[in-house]
Formats: sequence, structure tokens, C-alpha cells
Amino acid sequence: MTLQIVLFFIFAAVSAVTAVIMITRTNAVISALFLVLNFASLAGLYLTLNAQFIAVTQIIVYAGAIMVLFLFVLMLLRPENEKKILDMKPKLQIFAMIIAFIVFIQIAYIIFFAQPLQNISPDLTNSIKAGTIEAIGRELFTKYIVPFEAAGFLLLAAAIGALVLAKKKFE
Amino acid sequence: MTETGIINISLAILFLPLLGFIVTLLLGKKIKSIYLFEVFILTVTLFAAIFVAFIKLSYYVDDRIIAEIQWFKLSETISIKLGFLIDNMTVIMLFVVALISALVHYFSIAYMKDDPRYNRYFAYLGIFTFSMNGIVLTNNILMMYIFWELVGLSSYLLIGFWFEKKSASDAGKKAFIVNRVGDIGMFAGILILFLTYNTFSFESIFHSIAAGKLPFNSDFWLTMTGILLFMGAIGKSAQFPLHVWLPDAMEGPTPVSALIHAATMVAAGVYLTIRIFGLLTADAMMFIAIIGMLSAFIPATIALTQNDIKKVLAYSTVSQLGYMVMALGIGAYKFTFFHLVAHAFFKACLFLGSGSVIYAMHHEQDIRNMGGLRKKLPLTYATFLIATLAISGIPLTSGFHSKDGILASSFAFGSLTGNWIFAIVGFLVALMTAFYMFRLVIITFHGQPRDQHKYEHAKESPFVMVMPLIVLAGLSIFIFYTPNPLNADEGWFISKWLPAPVLSAPNNTRFDFMQETAGAVTHNPSHGTITYSESYTEAMHGAHNPAMILALVLALSGMLLAYIFYQWKKINVDKLTQAIKPLYTFSLNKWYFDELYDKTFVAGTIGFSKLIGWFDAKIVDGIINGAGNLTRLLSVFTGAFDRIVIDGIVNFAAYLSGFIGLIFRRIQTGKVQTYLILVIFSIIILLFLFND
Amino acid sequence: MFNNAQEFFNTLPLIIMGGGIVISLLIEIYSDKNKVILPWFTALLFLAVGLHSLFYTNDVSIVMQNMLATGGNVNIFYAIFTLGAAVVTLISIDYIKKYDMYFGEYYLILQTSVLGMMLMAAAKDLFVIFLGLELMSISFYILAGMNRKRAKANEASLKYFLLGSFATGFIVYGIALIYGSAHTTSIDFITTNFAGLTSNLLFVAGVLLFLIGFSFKIAAFPFHMWVPDVYEGSSTTVAALFSTGGKSAAFSAIIASLFALFNGPSGNVFTPYFAVISVLSMFYGSIVAIAQVNIKRMLAYSSISHAGYLIIGLAAGNHDAIAGVMFYLGAYTFMNLGAFGIVSLVEGKNETNLDINSYAGLASKKPFLAALLSILMFSLAGVPPFAGFFGKYYIFIAAIESKLTWLAILGVISSAISAYFYIRIVVLMYFKPATNDFQIETSNSAMLGIITSVIIVILLGIFPGSFLDLITRFI
Repeated sequence: MTLQIVLFFIFAAVSAVTAVIMITRTNAVISALFLVLNFASLAGLYLTLNAQFIAVTQIIVYAGAIMVLFLFVLMLLRPENEKKILDMKPKLQIFAMIIAFIVFIQIAYIIFFAQPLQNISPDLTNSIKAGTIEAIGRELFTKYIVPFEAAGFLLLAAAIGALVLAKKKFE
Repeated sequence: MTETGIINISLAILFLPLLGFIVTLLLGKKIKSIYLFEVFILTVTLFAAIFVAFIKLSYYVDDRIIAEIQWFKLSETISIKLGFLIDNMTVIMLFVVALISALVHYFSIAYMKDDPRYNRYFAYLGIFTFSMNGIVLTNNILMMYIFWELVGLSSYLLIGFWFEKKSASDAGKKAFIVNRVGDIGMFAGILILFLTYNTFSFESIFHSIAAGKLPFNSDFWLTMTGILLFMGAIGKSAQFPLHVWLPDAMEGPTPVSALIHAATMVAAGVYLTIRIFGLLTADAMMFIAIIGMLSAFIPATIALTQNDIKKVLAYSTVSQLGYMVMALGIGAYKFTFFHLVAHAFFKACLFLGSGSVIYAMHHEQDIRNMGGLRKKLPLTYATFLIATLAISGIPLTSGFHSKDGILASSFAFGSLTGNWIFAIVGFLVALMTAFYMFRLVIITFHGQPRDQHKYEHAKESPFVMVMPLIVLAGLSIFIFYTPNPLNADEGWFISKWLPAPVLSAPNNTRFDFMQETAGAVTHNPSHGTITYSESYTEAMHGAHNPAMILALVLALSGMLLAYIFYQWKKINVDKLTQAIKPLYTFSLNKWYFDELYDKTFVAGTIGFSKLIGWFDAKIVDGIINGAGNLTRLLSVFTGAFDRIVIDGIVNFAAYLSGFIGLIFRRIQTGKVQTYLILVIFSIIILLFLFND
Repeated sequence: MFNNAQEFFNTLPLIIMGGGIVISLLIEIYSDKNKVILPWFTALLFLAVGLHSLFYTNDVSIVMQNMLATGGNVNIFYAIFTLGAAVVTLISIDYIKKYDMYFGEYYLILQTSVLGMMLMAAAKDLFVIFLGLELMSISFYILAGMNRKRAKANEASLKYFLLGSFATGFIVYGIALIYGSAHTTSIDFITTNFAGLTSNLLFVAGVLLFLIGFSFKIAAFPFHMWVPDVYEGSSTTVAALFSTGGKSAAFSAIIASLFALFNGPSGNVFTPYFAVISVLSMFYGSIVAIAQVNIKRMLAYSSISHAGYLIIGLAAGNHDAIAGVMFYLGAYTFMNLGAFGIVSLVEGKNETNLDINSYAGLASKKPFLAALLSILMFSLAGVPPFAGFFGKYYIFIAAIESKLTWLAILGVISSAISAYFYIRIVVLMYFKPATNDFQIETSNSAMLGIITSVIIVILLGIFPGSFLDLITRFI
């Protein structure tokens, strides 16, 4: 067991547990805080995969900016207790649980019975290089220029949409 | 000018009248003088048709230009195509249609002047010209059928143009229904062809037949196919027993009668038969010849006694069309087309002439109220006389040549097969035609005016009406078809322009003289008459002079008889009609069984007349009445349909909606959570499906 | 980026579209007359891109570091999207004024959604497919909620967003699994090595999840639940775009990603999956549509059943079937747009006349409109000689070629069922007296859009061969 694997198990366990806790809390603020923790552990997982840039982005953008925004919104809006909705349809709830369980089994089956990945380069230096900002930037502006531009338009559309849907007054 | 150029100009000729129709119809109510656009379009079409005919006949005289585009594919092997077949007949017909249509347009400018639906009338003429050009240009039977129905539709619209008159709208309906009877047969024939050959193209069908592929692998069905297709021609060309619609169609405006019911549309049936000539077997040809013979004879006898100027011409049209059909049935392929073209010109001239007379006489159509009009309408008289000479087959006219050719062919057919009946009827009809046409001319134009008041007010029609008459009368002179005034065989029309038919029916199903084994002659395009075989050529050669002399004698005697009866009054017509009153009334009543004169019938003629009269009255009109009753039944049925089915559908929908709603309401809850659970559930099932 | 001028030229439709979006943004911000300029600018932009694409279908190439394909079928898809969107723009102009929801953003988002569709059709890489899909979907969520005054529109938008994100999640998961097993996102690489890769269960699961995600977008049963609610809730013009452009784009993405596999004589590995969901979609859509009294819901279920017919083409999986699918998409786009356009006119202010009984007696009130709607309904029902008939015809024939005769027969049965609710509209219009009296305000621009659609439907019905030839040239 190398350090990498130990770290993987720790981060994986944390992210799984926090995810479950997050969706089972009735208080939205607590859910949000666990989500922050979940994001942090995911960032740790990225680090073990030599994706430094993504790990940092994950922390800064998601855990930092977005979740803080979430928390502000939650505090301002003071949402009602969510428990009622689930209690309304107990039958559905059971049905949902069974289905979720089956899906879990299926995915587990796929993962365990899939072929192990071959031909992954064992060369760590290359892998580390690929995760640097320079490498990502180079790729982004050469090979992946089309997805990059498309993402630009996507953000433009999302920004406009947010403005339209949240604008206070109708013209 | 290349072949592509010819095709492009033909496309323009086809679609220009459609453009005229659309523009005139759409703007008709807004712009009073939009009809001028339609007239202009037709003039352009005419020039294009002249141009294309000139190019084709001068530079591409031996070519058959075929242009096809794929319309859509039914499967890998079967595709439906649209296409043109441009041979000499096509361009000649295009010219005929465009010319007569243009002349009728000019004529109508004055004739229809005061009509409230003036522009609409011109629009209808436009769509008719478009559909007729479609029939002429097509290279496949499907397009032929589509345009065939379009022509029927425009004919219906124009016959019933004055639909306020009950007789006019009835006549329109009658024409439409009677034509459908024939079209059913034609449609069946087309279906048989398509099922057998997977194509609609004449060319490919003929190739397949020549290669030995027959419908249902039997000669009988090939015969049947020919007869079924010919049924379309029976309807459209007003052949016995479906001829009853054409005289009634005279309710339409007279220029329309000239264009549609004399020169072009009714000739479409003959044109169709010419196009399918290659697949006709001897039996089918015999059937066609008999139908043509009856249609030539019966209306000719009726025309002898009619007093309505248009009715006489209508029956004469049926009779002449019967002539053409009979000629095709006995194999006189080229002369049929020759007669078709010649007839189109002189009959259009006669109809327009009658229109001019009717116009001058303030919508008087009964010839008994006319007389002496020669002095008042000199130009109309002169052109009418030329056309009459042509239809009677007097030398120096086009009709002389075409009729002479047909009669010679019937003579030859008699000597080759022993069936002399066609020759006998042919000559009889020639005699009658000369008689009744001169009767018409003499009563209308000669003698003393009978209705002094109307006579005083009659005056020559304006230029736009007279000019078409002059053009058409001019085209009835022989010189446009052949340089030799006595024999057309060497003329360019017969020997150069018209190709010999390509026969593809199996050898054993043809007439003896058409069989390849009977000393076939290789086709020589520069040589005149049809050469099926040596024996046929010989027979034609032998038949030519006797037929010509006999035809001339009969035509002149018919003419003479008319003069004796009506001009010089050597024989009192009234006395004569008294003497043969049964025959006279029989003819006057259009071979109808008429109760009023029932008792006066002479015993000898009773049987025959009753049979024919019964046939006409019961069967033919029975079909018409039956169709009427059927329509009434249909309306009762549709009423019930409306009540039961449509209301039923609506009520049923309500019940069904409730039921289905009940089932699916549980699924379509509108809640995202429910949806998601169901989605995941479905994915589980699909995963198992996919993993197999 | 571009290796030569030709590549730049081939990419022009996308570049024009992107440039148009930027220009529209500037017009919206800086022009005082943006309310007049922007709609027509949008319509002309779509028209320009559509016509450009149609004229240059021969420029087949792969550009931008193997990210985008140009020319051929891609351009035909471009034309379907943009010309359809042009019609949507035309029917929107007076519609959004009627609902007091004029925002210049409406047209901007319309343009971004079309850009997303175009990226999906052109994609040669799973990234591009995903980003195009997201661009389109995000735009759609926004469009659905544009009419903020209506609670139903807000609900529709949120519902669409939730379920759509769910589907996107599947697609991303699928792409991740595919990348994990194939080590690339290049579609060409994946499809050429497809047989070898299928031995890997991860890859198979990835492809399946990918397909399931797109099944959402094409509204196939059992991933159709959002369709009726969203169509009913959002504006009619927007629903028109969802049901045509959105569906076509999802099909274009499936064709773009799996095209190399659609060449077998008798189906392929996906055939069982597609066959099952096509049968379910056809019958579910046709049967439930019968029960609808709201015309928008009826059209929604009808779009589910049309998705079913289209999937038959994917199940058949041969080249003729793909040509048939493309033909059907072209035909379906315009007949559905025309129908929605007429619904948008008839519904009146505040959607009071959405009940199908509002159409009773329309023939006497608005004969021309009724005639147009009848043509569209007949075409949707698959009556010759309209475009809908040939679309179905080509697909069913291709299914028979692939020895899926039973599927073709089921398709015919389903279209017989669906004929019922289309013809019912015609019956109502022509045979029933008007039950309620309301005025229908026509709008010139909307009529222009509707008439254009009807003309295209008729032309495709009369000359199906010419359009099909254009498609098959590149297959």
C-alpha cells in the first residue's frame, strides 16, 4: 500500500460520507457545509491523480466562491424544512430506495467486472507535467480551441439567462 | 440550338400558361385588364412553340429527344420519373395547341366582352392550355394521367362557366362524370402496366413488351391493357357509348367549344391512343376500330337533322373523332395524326365561325332563324366555307388529303383482311359529312333571311374575331402539308415529319399484314406511307386511286344533294321528311326513343332503332342517372357519416380520453421526483436488455 | 487553428453564427431601435447561415484539430436548424409582444441555442458534443422560463432544468466511462476501434449512458416525462423550437457520433435498444395523444411518437435509414413549426384558446388558416403527397431492408392510430360549428413563417427525390 492508495481511501471515504450526510440533513445550512467538505475531499482526490490545477480550482471556485454564495442565499431566504416533502409519499420513498440500491449494485457490478485499465503510462513526470497550468493552457488554446470557444458562449448564454430570469422589472 | 435548348423551351411552353393562370386568377379581381397578361403570355407561348417546332423539324427531324428527372424513389429498383418526350408529333401538337389557344384568346377578347367573370375565364383558358401541353409533352403514362385529369377539371370549369344557367352547370357535371367512367378503365390499365413493368415510361414499357414480358404473361391481358387504356380515350374523345357529354358541353362559351371540345382536348384521346399504339394487339385494334366506326356513323346520322348550329358541329366532331379512332384501329397511323391536325384547324375555324355568327345574331343559335348572312358577314362566310370544304374532303384542302388517306387505308384493310365494313361506313360517313355540312352552310348563309329583325342588326364581327378565322381557314389549305394537291404521301407532313410506328406487341398477336414475317420492309424515314409489310404497301398502293375517286364522288354528291335540297329546292325537304319521317325524327331526336313519335315508326326500322334508342336511353343515360342517384345516395350517406362517424369520433374521443387519462394520470404526475424514479427504473431494465 | 483559407471558409456557418451573436449583443446594448432591428437581424442571420450551408454542402472536410466536420450532412443539419429557427423567429416577433415579454435577450438566447445545435451536428469529438448540448440546453431552460409572469412557465423552466441536468449527468458519466476505457474523446478513434472496445464492460456502460442521455433530449419513452409539462408551460413559439430544433440536434449528435457504425446490412449492436424504445415511444405517444384536450400537450405527445418513428431509422442502422431520418427531420421540423405557429396565433391573449375545441369551426372563421393547418395535420399524420408521408416511407423501407419488418409494421400501425388525433383537428375545423366566439389576431410575420413552412412541406412532398438525393450524396 503506497501513500497514494492510502490517501485515495481517506479522501474517497470522506467524500462518500459527506455526500450521504449532505442529502440526509434537514437543515440546508448544514447540508451546504458538508458539501464544502465534500468538494474539499474531491480536490484531494484530484491531487492524488496529479491534477494540481483542477484541485486548486475546485477549492477556489466551488468550495470558496460558489458555496459561500449558496450559504448567503440560504441565510437570506431561510427555506422551510424539507422533511415534509419526503414524508408526503412514503410508498414512493421506499420505491426510490429500492431502485437506488439496484442501481448501486449495477454500477458496482460494472466497475468490478470491467477489464482493468491497461496501458496507463507509469511515467509520473509526464503525468505531473500534464496537470500544470502551462500544459493546460497550451492545450486549451491549440487543440481544444473549439470547446474553449463553445464554453465561452455557454457562459455568455448562462449569464444572460441569469440576468433575464432574475431581472426585477419587466420592460 | 441544342437538344437541351429544345427541352428548356418546351419547359417554358408548358409552364408559361400556368403562370398566366396564377397571375390572372390572383389579380383578376383587383386589376380589370389583367386578362391582357394572359393573352400576352399565350402569344409568347405561341412564338416559343413555333420556334421549337421549326428547330425540331429542320435540324432534329429524326431525333426523339427524351429528358427525364427522378421524381422520387420507391425502392432501389423502382423510381418514379418525370419526363418529356419530344418527337415530331409533340412539337406539331404543341404548335396546334398553342396556336388555337392563342387564337381563341384573341377571339374571346371580343366575344366575352361583357361577362362579369371576364378575367376568371381567361385564367381557366390558361390552366387548360397548361394541362393540354402537359399531355402532349409527357413521356410517361402517369404524368399523362395527371394532366389528363387536369384537362378534365378545366373542361368542367369552362363548360359550367355560366353556372347560373342550370343547363350549363348540369352539362359540366355530366361531362365530368362521363369522363370519370372512361378514366377508371384507363387507371386500371396504368396499374396493370406499372405492376408488370415497374415503370410508367412509354419507352421502357415498349422495350419490355418487345423483349417478351407481358402483363400476367398472357396475350389476353396485353389486349385488355390496351383496351383499358383506350377507355380513357373513349371518355375524353367522346366515343360511343360515352359520346353523350360532348353535345351537352356546347353549353359552354363558343370559343371554349372551339378550343376544348373540337380541336384539342377531345383529340387528346386520339393522341393517347397514338402514343400507346405500339402495345396494341390485333384484338385491341379491332375493338378500337369498331368503337371508332360506331362513333363515326351514329353522330353523322344525327347531325343530318339538327337545327342548332353548335349541335351540328358537335355531332360532326364526334363523328370525325370516330373517324380518327377507326383509322388507328385499322392501322392508318400517320393519317390519323394528319387528320387530327387538319381537323383541329378546320373544326376550330368552324366553331369560331359559328361563334362569330352567334355573336352577330345576338346569341341566336337556331339555324332556322338565320339565312342570307353571306352578305352581312362576308369574311365569316368565306372562312366558314373553306373549312366546310375541308371537312367534306374537297380537293385542295387539308381534309381531302387526310380523309383520302384514311379511306384508302380502310380500303386496303378490307382487301387484306376481308373486313369491308370499315370502308363502307367510312365512305358513307364521308357522304353524310359533305351533306350535313353544306346543309348548315346553305341554311345559315344562303337564301333569304328568315328573322328579318335580327338580320338587320347583324354586322361583321370585329377584327380580333375575324383574324383567327382567317388564320385557321388558311391552315386548311393543302399547301401547308404537301406540295402535291392530289397525293399527300410524298409531302413533307406524311413522309418527312411523321415517323412510322414502332410495334412492340408480340408477333403472333398482330394483324397478319403487320407481322414481321410477312415480308417486313425496313423503315425508311424518307419514304412516305406506313410500311408494315410488302403486302400492306401493295394494298395501299392499289387502294389509293379507287379510294380517292370514290371519296371525291361521294363528297361532291353529298354537296350536290345539299344544294338540291336546300339551295335550289328541287326537292321539297318537308315532303321528303314527311316521307321518311320515322328516320327523320329518329335522327332529330338523336337516335332517342321518343314516346311522342312512337306510333309513327315504320315497322322495319323499329327493331333497330328501338335497340339503339333503348341502349342510348337506358344504358348510357341510365349510367348517368345512376351516377346521379349514386351522388344522392352518397350525400345521404355522408349525412349519416357526419352524424354517426364524425360525431361518433368526437364522442368516442371524449370517452377514450377519459379512459387513457385515468391510466396515465398516475405516471404523468407533474412531479419531478416521480419522473426521475421512473427514469432510473427504466434504465435498469434497459441495462439488462443491452448487456445481452 | 486553420491550416488554410478553405478550412476557414468551410467553418463559416459557425463563425457567422458566433459573430452574429456578438453583433446581436451589441445591437441590444447600444441601439435605441433594437426592438425593431434585432428580430429581423436574427431571422436574416439564420437565413443567411442556412442558405450558405445549403449552397456549400460539397465542402466536406475535417477542421480545427479534428474537432469539427464541415460540409455534407453537417451542412444539411445546419440548414434544418437555422431555417427552422428562422421560422421560429418569424412566429415569435408578434407573439412575444402579445405576452409583454419583449426582451432582446429572447433573440440572443435563440441564437446561442442554435449555435449549440450546430456544434452538436458538427462534432468530431465528445467534448464538442457535450459543450454544444449544454449550450443548447442552457439556452432552452432560459427560453422556457422567459415568460416570467406565468407560474406555469417558471415551473416548466425549473422542471426542464432539473430533468435536463439529470440527462446531462448521464451523458457526462457516459463520456467519462468512454474516455476511461478508450483513452480518447475522438469520435473517429472510438468508432474505428469500436468492436475491440465493446469487450470492455466500462465502455459498453458508457455508451449506454450516453445514449440514455440523448434519449432524454429526443424525448423518447421512457425519458419523455418532461415533454408535455414543458411544452405546455413554456411559450408556444419556444415549445416549437424545443420540439423541432432540439430533437433534430439530438439526432444529429447521435448520427455524428455513431455514424461510422451505421453501415451494417441488418442493424448493429444498438438495434435492440433502439427498437425497444422506438416501439414504446411510438405507441405511448400515439395513444396518450388521443386523450389530450390541450393542443400543446397533444403536439407534445405527437412529438414523442414522431421520435419513435425516427428511432426506427436508428434501429435499422443502414445508410438508407440515416438518409430517411434526415429527410424526416427536415420534414418534421417544418410541419411541426407550422402547426405550433398556427397554435400561437389561435391561442389568443393569455392562452385562452388552447383547448382543441377552440378549433371547431375555424374553417368558416379563418378559411386560409384552416386550410394550412389541415395540410400540416395531414402531413403529420403521414398522408401523401405531403412531406410527412415520405419521411415515414423512407424510414420504414430502410427498416425492412434491415430485416426489421416487424418494426416497420408496428410503425405503420402506430401512424394509423396517430392519424386519429390529427384528423380529429381537421374534422373539428371543417365539420363542427364554432362553439365559442373569439377573434383571431393574425400577424404578418407569423403568417410568413407559417406559409413558408407549409410550402416547404408541400415541396418536400412533391419533390422528395431532390432533397433525398442531396442527403444520400454524402452518405
